[in-house]
Amino acid sequence: MSDAGQSRPPEGAAYVESTIIMTTVRLIAPFVITYGLFVMFHGADSPGGGFQGGVIVGAMVVMVGFAFGVAPAREWVKNDVLVAVATTGALTFVAVGLGAQLLGGRFLEYASYEPLYHHASKYLIELVELAIGAIVAAVVVGLYFSLARGHVGSTEEDEA
Amino acid sequence: MSPAPLEVVLLVFVLACAVGAALLEDVLAAILAFAAYSLGISVLWVFLQAPDVGLTEAAVGAGIMTILFLLAVAKTAREPSGRTLESVRWRSLVLVGAFVGVLALVLPAVPAIGDPAAPVLSYDVTQYYLANSYEETGVTNAVTAVLAAYRGLDTLGEATVVFTAAVAVLVVFDREVLT
Repeated sequence: MSDAGQSRPPEGAAYVESTIIMTTVRLIAPFVITYGLFVMFHGADSPGGGFQGGVIVGAMVVMVGFAFGVAPAREWVKNDVLVAVATTGALTFVAVGLGAQLLGGRFLEYASYEPLYHHASKYLIELVELAIGAIVAAVVVGLYFSLARGHVGSTEEDEA
Repeated sequence: MSPAPLEVVLLVFVLACAVGAALLEDVLAAILAFAAYSLGISVLWVFLQAPDVGLTEAAVGAGIMTILFLLAVAKTAREPSGRTLESVRWRSLVLVGAFVGVLALVLPAVPAIGDPAAPVLSYDVTQYYLANSYEETGVTNAVTAVLAAYRGLDTLGEATVVFTAAVAVLVVFDREVLT
């Protein structure tokens, strides 16, 4: 940042270190990620699902980024991890669909898995929800990191 | 059916927040008003018996969108003008007024909330989902059954859209890594 000093304008300072925020985030982060996973897993029987749960899990990483700065959060969640999680989610969803065709059904026809495993439909819906959650969580975190860094020619390459 | 007092309070709150988000001069204040609006709407969804939508609204609308907006504001410079409210252009006001007028005209035609004769309830597809979704998919939340099973292909498309968003950001920012 060009005016890195004490006269930094308040709107330019993306990160302010605060013991209260860091302690709070450290305390509630495990609960947030647990709740996110619960919403994802339990989406079949209660309100929720992959989209909502994925956002909550992604919000956990964003919270860490807000409390500890974007750079430490970047160190913690690597690009390879984000890409792997998002693509695994997308490929799992497609694989579930194509698997049904391999078993003689139509695309995403869960019932065709039924001879392999009882209640296959229920478990595959859970799997698909998890896949959606993986995509959404990784993309939310990726959008956050990308926006925090900005364009490649930007003067504010690394602020935190 | 007259609305519950809490619903009326929420509606007034949501309306005030929406007007605030549109009129406040300070971008930060407008973003916060928008977040409050989104949170109010998410509670209203729960009142309307749509907890799935409410959860999405709270997580995406009030949560992540606010954070992304705040980041964008922190990244851009803005000049304080000293005014509290944006000056309103007459043309925009007429356009918004006309839109609200059209909506107000259509509103009486919408069936009451929970009306058993409402087309969406009496429609064959709805009845089919409610009657057969547990038998056919094994999940008790009919919303999830429709989302992941009956409309699975649409949901795959939705997930692809989310995936594409990350790719689009990489293209726009001219980068090869997300972090």
